[in-house]
Amino acid sequence: MTSAPFGVRAVLLPLAAALALPLVLGSLPLLHLAPNRLVTGAPIPVAAALGPWLWPLLALAATGPALVASGRGRAGAWFGLLACTGGFALLLTGLGAGAAELLVGQPPAARARLAAGAWLAGLGLCAGIFLGMRASRLPAAGWLSALVLLTLIGGLGAAGTLDAFSLTVEFRARRDGLARAILEHLALSSGALIIAGLVTAALGLWRRGRGAIDLFVGGVQVVPAVALLGGLVAVASAGLALMPALRAYGVSALGAGPALVGMAAYLLLPLWRGLQGALRTPDPATLDAARALGLTPRQTLASLRLPLGAGLLIGGLRVAAVQALGLATLAPLVGAGGLGRLVFDGMAQFAPDLILLGALPVIALSLAAESALSAVEAAARRRWPS
Amino acid sequence: MRATLAPLLLGLALAAVSHPAVAGRLAGGAGSRPLALDRLTELAANHLALAGIGFLIVAGLGIALGIAATRPGFARLRGGIDALAAFAQSLPPVVVVALALPVLGFGGPPTLLALLAYGLMPTLRGTVGALDAVSPEARAAAEAIGLTRRQILTKVEIPLAAPGLIETLRTALILSISVAAVGALAGASTLGTPIVAGLQNQNLSGLLQGTAATAALAFLGDALLLAVGGFLTRD
Repeated sequence: MTSAPFGVRAVLLPLAAALALPLVLGSLPLLHLAPNRLVTGAPIPVAAALGPWLWPLLALAATGPALVASGRGRAGAWFGLLACTGGFALLLTGLGAGAAELLVGQPPAARARLAAGAWLAGLGLCAGIFLGMRASRLPAAGWLSALVLLTLIGGLGAAGTLDAFSLTVEFRARRDGLARAILEHLALSSGALIIAGLVTAALGLWRRGRGAIDLFVGGVQVVPAVALLGGLVAVASAGLALMPALRAYGVSALGAGPALVGMAAYLLLPLWRGLQGALRTPDPATLDAARALGLTPRQTLASLRLPLGAGLLIGGLRVAAVQALGLATLAPLVGAGGLGRLVFDGMAQFAPDLILLGALPVIALSLAAESALSAVEAAARRRWPS
Repeated sequence: MRATLAPLLLGLALAAVSHPAVAGRLAGGAGSRPLALDRLTELAANHLALAGIGFLIVAGLGIALGIAATRPGFARLRGGIDALAAFAQSLPPVVVVALALPVLGFGGPPTLLALLAYGLMPTLRGTVGALDAVSPEARAAAEAIGLTRRQILTKVEIPLAAPGLIETLRTALILSISVAAVGALAGASTLGTPIVAGLQNQNLSGLLQGTAATAALAFLGDALLLAVGGFLTRD
């Protein structure tokens, strides 16, 4: 099937790719016009949302993904990549102009909100850019497409094209809070990661208890995160009720403390698995040879076990880092800060753009951690092939 | 069967802790208002229904797609599946629940969507991993004795991959129970509800009950799947 000249790969895939985005653009609302920031508002028909930009955008959104999907060598992928990039810029420009036009003559509280069709089309074009970069064998396609997209969004934002979007308005209002939330989020995640790393290293020294540790770190994973955080608060409150003197030392049932402990407990499993896998990587013959050469156990660890297992160790760190960034979103539940605070505020007020303002950085941070650490992992595997 | 004993006992102990009489005594104090037993069972039933539906969708879809992805014609999709799985795992369930809220409204639907977004790709990847671990010799032998493709799948590949598939299902079940608890933030009425409410109005025993009951469900579900797995893979 794959070898047939007119099989799935040659015809159906490009055809589906060509139809997908025009269908999305045509059938789903692109913008919502709402009287204030708390309601969803009325969907705006595609022709009114995009105006004169509609047809050029449709053309690019059909040809770009189709060229990328057709797999016709590097030139095709290049043109597909260019068409997708152009399509993304057109989508933002067209919708920005459309939103600005919609808001003319409206009361100041009115908002023009990006709707499902715009998000899906934007995601599709982003995927097209990423896949196009991979197909034209550009180095570090993930980072390069992130750079291209951020430049586009930043440039259009600086030019004022995006000013009419509700999300931009929300961003302007909360710029300082957002920066602080991102820093808190990073502090919480890295704090939990460091605690979990230290505990894992300490547990690694305890040879006898390996079975018990396996059971414990596996058991923690079974407890749902919401329940673990809640349980920690309950236990800490009960402890403080028994020993009120602890309050004097700054122990509190709510805040960053229980959040860090709860997050770190979840991160133990990936780190522990990575460490155990890394220590087990060298085969017995290699270890015998090391012993015969007169290496001490410490030297064996430093020059043999850790380098050979570096890939597995960093793989565990990658999973743990991505989990930490996601778990930190739940931290405001127990009174700690971070980007989750914006998400929870948005949910409480039912303000979709505030939710997005908190959620988009979480997703971006997780993706960045994932791709950065998988690059390090791949480099470690190349440097010390096991 | 010994492996099932620990989660079973833990689950039963946690279920006992969530009983209003026990939780009221453990978290006694001024703000202690334990949930009545029938309210707790109602929440638990809702939680189980939501997690169960989500688990069936995720497990069914994930395993079906995983089997499809390991068929010879689709080998080139592997890289894409791994990239997509990594992407889907970087979307925390809270974020998906929150993002789906304006579109799907309060309650069950955003929770199910979050579960689908977060649980589908690990299940798919686990299935692919379990089927890949079947030795090529076993497959070649099955082909040599004249089994059809369907027979190779049902009589050779799936039985040999069963331990890995059970592991995948365990992960999917635990994710389902966990995401159903997060769904309380979107107004779904689950065992996460007393946790969220307890944190907001300092109701310690309600908080403890929700926590213990959610964890009990997760451990009991895990024990059930371990028992099923032990039964299926016994020699």
